[in-house]
Amino acid sequence: MHQPDTQPVAPRHPDVVMRLDRLGSFHQSRLSFMRILLRRLQSEGWRFECALFDIDARGVGRAVYTAHGPERSYSLVAFANDLPPEKRSDRVIATEWDATFTLFDGVPETADLDRLQANVPRQEAGRVSEKELSLSRANRSVRLWDHVVDSLASGHQPDPARVAEVGYLMRTTAVYGSGKFGAADREQIAHRPECQAPFQIEMLSVYLTRAFVMDLVEHMARMRAPETAVPLDPDLRRRFGIGNSTGLGMAPFLVTHPALLNNWIATREEALARIRSLPHASAGEAQTLRRFAIRAQLHAADWHSDHPVQIAKLEALRADMASLLAHLATADLQADQPWNRLWLWAEGALTLEGQELLASLLLEPYPRLVDPLACCMAADEAATWRIDGAMSTARLRALVQEIYGWALAIDWTDPDAQARVWYTSEAKLEPRLGERFDEPIEPYEQPLCPGRDAARLWSDLSEATEDSVAGFLMRHPQHRHIVRRAQIAARLPYAEIRDNTIDATMMPIDMLRLKLSFFGACHFDPRSDRWLRINMYQHAPFPHELGDRSGDDWAYPFLAVAAE
Amino acid sequence: MTWSLNEIEALSRKAARGAGLSWGLAEEAGKAARWLVAQGLPGPQVLADLLTRNDGTTYETLCPHDEDEGRWTARGGTLCPLISGAALCDHASRLAAGEALHLGRTASPMLLLPYLDAAARIAGRSVTVSWEGVSVTCGAADGIPDGMTDALSTTMVDAVAILPGELCDTETPSPTARADIPEATARQLDAFAQRTYAPETETSRLAGAGAGLTDND
Repeated sequence: MHQPDTQPVAPRHPDVVMRLDRLGSFHQSRLSFMRILLRRLQSEGWRFECALFDIDARGVGRAVYTAHGPERSYSLVAFANDLPPEKRSDRVIATEWDATFTLFDGVPETADLDRLQANVPRQEAGRVSEKELSLSRANRSVRLWDHVVDSLASGHQPDPARVAEVGYLMRTTAVYGSGKFGAADREQIAHRPECQAPFQIEMLSVYLTRAFVMDLVEHMARMRAPETAVPLDPDLRRRFGIGNSTGLGMAPFLVTHPALLNNWIATREEALARIRSLPHASAGEAQTLRRFAIRAQLHAADWHSDHPVQIAKLEALRADMASLLAHLATADLQADQPWNRLWLWAEGALTLEGQELLASLLLEPYPRLVDPLACCMAADEAATWRIDGAMSTARLRALVQEIYGWALAIDWTDPDAQARVWYTSEAKLEPRLGERFDEPIEPYEQPLCPGRDAARLWSDLSEATEDSVAGFLMRHPQHRHIVRRAQIAARLPYAEIRDNTIDATMMPIDMLRLKLSFFGACHFDPRSDRWLRINMYQHAPFPHELGDRSGDDWAYPFLAVAAE
Repeated sequence: MTWSLNEIEALSRKAARGAGLSWGLAEEAGKAARWLVAQGLPGPQVLADLLTRNDGTTYETLCPHDEDEGRWTARGGTLCPLISGAALCDHASRLAAGEALHLGRTASPMLLLPYLDAAARIAGRSVTVSWEGVSVTCGAADGIPDGMTDALSTTMVDAVAILPGELCDTETPSPTARADIPEATARQLDAFAQRTYAPETETSRLAGAGAGLTDND
């Protein structure tokens, strides 16, 4: 008698997952931090109010948006500016922005606002306090902003095609959290349920920023033409996300927080493995997957980029989506571990973009299996941080071989293998990537190349006479950093990017996309190999719409009713 | 103006690296300064002072060299507490087994405390550290007693004894969440940290960050 194969499927091996080309093909999912946040705001019935909106006809002034949760309130304090175009830069070295923000812990008094007005618009040059949880800024997308203000002021809606082309009215750049520039440390708030999952403060700040920006653009149109101005149509309004422009500064975070990186990836892999292991699926679950796949195809069609690498990836993704939909039309999605069969088909039929999009899509029909895993994504980094000096050098050797085998296979004498240097510039302490053999920067190298460091450790370990790690490190203090990493990765398999982060062909945007996909960003649009624009919260309900509209189901474009 | 603990840790880590410690040791020095601040102790001041005094001295001179019946000494005569602290923590299993460890002449012994607190956690028992006139138990539930700042701030001691104590698995309380750092200390640490930053060149400014695009679109 035929027995269906219902063996549980193991999570994917880190050697498969932790490659930069795959990590650089990740997409948002049910486990993205924005979706975790909006699910909470909706389920707990958070209340929102705009307590202050004092902005003049030139667009200068301040505003406060407060989110009231079951136990605590948080307020976005916004300062709007009339920025001359020559000062509009998305680099960290900029000194002025169209708007600047901080997320205040509670409800600010006027004295707080005055203190913040003297500091927040200066960003890195200013100073905030333990009452503030984040610091951020944004610039207008000039081409869309002017069009929207002009349209609304003259009494009609902006052109939906132009809205779709850009997707947002303002782009944030850096969003600083945890202790930066004097703000409260994450440790001060991490015990709060609403702050437990990663980056919830930053995601709330950006969510409220989107609401502010949309109110501001309508306000500017009204100030210009009070007689004729109209507000945005609510459906069109939701098509505006909030942009972000991100450079290299984000990349080192993934390397300097190995335990956290592990928990993000391990949670997603666990969710995928659970779903692949399901012996069968209901007709409703199969239908949900099909519907989300159609919506994801629309999303891929709306996604624009001018960067040659991303153009090629998008062409591949669109072809992947066509193959996937064709396959889904006839495949049995209900019997015999249907999702594992679908997955194995995808591994042979789709590119990395398509495979990783399918990984995200497979989570959609299973909120009850997936959403509770969100609590596993934070990390107690201290728990794995101390070096285990009692470990034998033989065991460490075995670990290095297991975790960094890929790096031991690289010929590190080849200049291309270590062509790059991660360093910090003197100017505004901006993280940068330079050319090792062309610039005098090697003495300033940051420890962001675990593969090369592991190969060096391996070489010294091969000649070590010490029995214990403690004895070995006493003689080789330069390996202390990579020994710590190896011991962390021994316990947390996805802690390490298993790829060469200083190779001549390395694309930092892969690292940026990895992180941003976990935030819940989409429409990745590289502007160079190390600079990326994205869209956040596109199609999401605004704060005042939460409850009437789903805080969970908004991350893919909606289908017209007929297509449903 | 108060500093967040993350700022204190980051500045201390960079300063330790700028002063010549390996990245791994510098990471632990950052955590050490942070831990001391959380105990209400002047970690950044003691660190700045130590780095200044040891500036230009090699690791080989400062690290534990000879071990004679559980007593470590430095080739240069004076042990660095950042290096010895890390080594003591690496040897926590000896403390767990009930063995006492001894250091010879050691600079700024206050900086040993965070490492011994971590060692106590690993060993699963409290660790009492003492030098002339001072005795502190790490890993004990009540933390570092008040009023010991001056006694702990000594810049040099001739001998340090580290004795394993009772079995315990408590977390040392961290009563302080932020701190003021004297301007002179911040300047000293920043001067060391500056050594880790590459000087600005036009090429690196344009190419290194990969942007240089207008944001007017």
